Amino acid sequence: MTVFDQIRALASDLFAISPDKLSVSSSPETVDAWDSVQHLNLVLAVEEKFHLQLSPEEIEQMKTIGDIVKIVEGKLQTAPS
Amino acid sequence: MPITIQPYLPEHEPAVAEFNQRLKTSTNDPTLVFPRYAVPRWLPHSQSSDLFQEYFLALENGFVRGGYALKHQNFIFPDGKVRRIGYYHHPYSEGIINKSYAVVGSLLLRDAMARSPLLYCLGMGGYDRPLPKMLVRLGWTHCAIPFYFLVLRPHRFLLQMQALRGSAAREWLMNLAAASGAGWAAMKALRAWRSLRAPRVESFTVEKIAEFSAWANDLWEKNKDAYALAAMRDATTLCLLYPATDEHFTRLRIRRGGQDIGWAVVGERRKDEKYGEMRVGSIIDGWAAPGDAAPVVQAATAALEQAGMDLIVSNQNHAEWGLALANLGFLSSESNFIFAASKTLAALLQPFESNRLRMHFTRADGDGLPRNF
Repeated sequence: MTVFDQIRALASDLFAISPDKLSVSSSPETVDAWDSVQHLNLVLAVEEKFHLQLSPEEIEQMKTIGDIVKIVEGKLQTAPS
Repeated sequence: MPITIQPYLPEHEPAVAEFNQRLKTSTNDPTLVFPRYAVPRWLPHSQSSDLFQEYFLALENGFVRGGYALKHQNFIFPDGKVRRIGYYHHPYSEGIINKSYAVVGSLLLRDAMARSPLLYCLGMGGYDRPLPKMLVRLGWTHCAIPFYFLVLRPHRFLLQMQALRGSAAREWLMNLAAASGAGWAAMKALRAWRSLRAPRVESFTVEKIAEFSAWANDLWEKNKDAYALAAMRDATTLCLLYPATDEHFTRLRIRRGGQDIGWAVVGERRKDEKYGEMRVGSIIDGWAAPGDAAPVVQAATAALEQAGMDLIVSNQNHAEWGLALANLGFLSSESNFIFAASKTLAALLQPFESNRLRMHFTRADGDGLPRNF
């Protein structure tokens, strides 16, 4: 399962929306249920799922599903194995 | 350009005005207004006091996308130590009108937690609101601060209390209860019954004072260890919270046998549509040994009754203060006044379930002063 698939699954659960309706370009503007509370929920879910800590700068950059995937992939590559 | 959180400076005031205008235009909610001035009118920073407020803004390329207020105050903790903690309030985010800024709420809260790890929130309007939802999700420890009310004029209460008149049927019932006198009889009977069952309160004297002075320090020192958590209430703090120049407050000094046993601050609330045309008094704050809460709330209630209030309200967290109110005939109802503590703060309040009943929180500890007590 790719990072995108995993993040899409998290977002799908949180926003109660079919995974098919989520793409890399999905954002708060295109997903009705994606408000400030759900944004925080998504951040926390991503941190928990991938066992990582996101900085305020990274959270600020998380504007679309694609942005989140990029940040998570970057962190996973630099994380000590 | 990324969003950054920075202290609110006078040069940001025009951008804050534009932010407020955007909120107003899009929401039609006149209460959504971030402070117009960078220097807080209430509790500005002072070198000589640990009680002060400061504001922070979420800035993006010169535009304000959100902001929050942080009140700093010393508290006594269950271990007897005094620590300065932060109170996070009035967070505003452009995310409420433009979802591309949904991230701002998280950024504001994380910034406040970084600046003041011992952080709490209070009030917030109920668990269904975005901020408490966010705090619960973040694993903050929380509880509702009980709400108490005493109906002094049942006829006006039944006719004016808008929250009880939500439908035509309920309105008819309220009108009937008011017109028949049944409401008056029931409320008076309840108050009399509660008073009869209450333990007798030893006699005491009450004096209206213009401002607090050194005697309040003695009361603070004498009683602070009886509470699991309480905001500092020495004379210096009280003079900042309830300055002599503010005539909205009535300050009461309560003594027994010539010895100070407590004080209370009461006042009339500003008009609020949920209370209709009723005059609503508030027991804003008080201090005493928990065992002396009864004379303090009695004095406060009598002062508001004499001032002609129709209804008295109060939020009191400590179990003995709540009991003192109940013994006077106060009823309690569901509270939307929520206390939430960050994980770092909550760690110092353990065991929370037993300590929470000994924490002293009132409306004075919220963001209501001086506008909304």
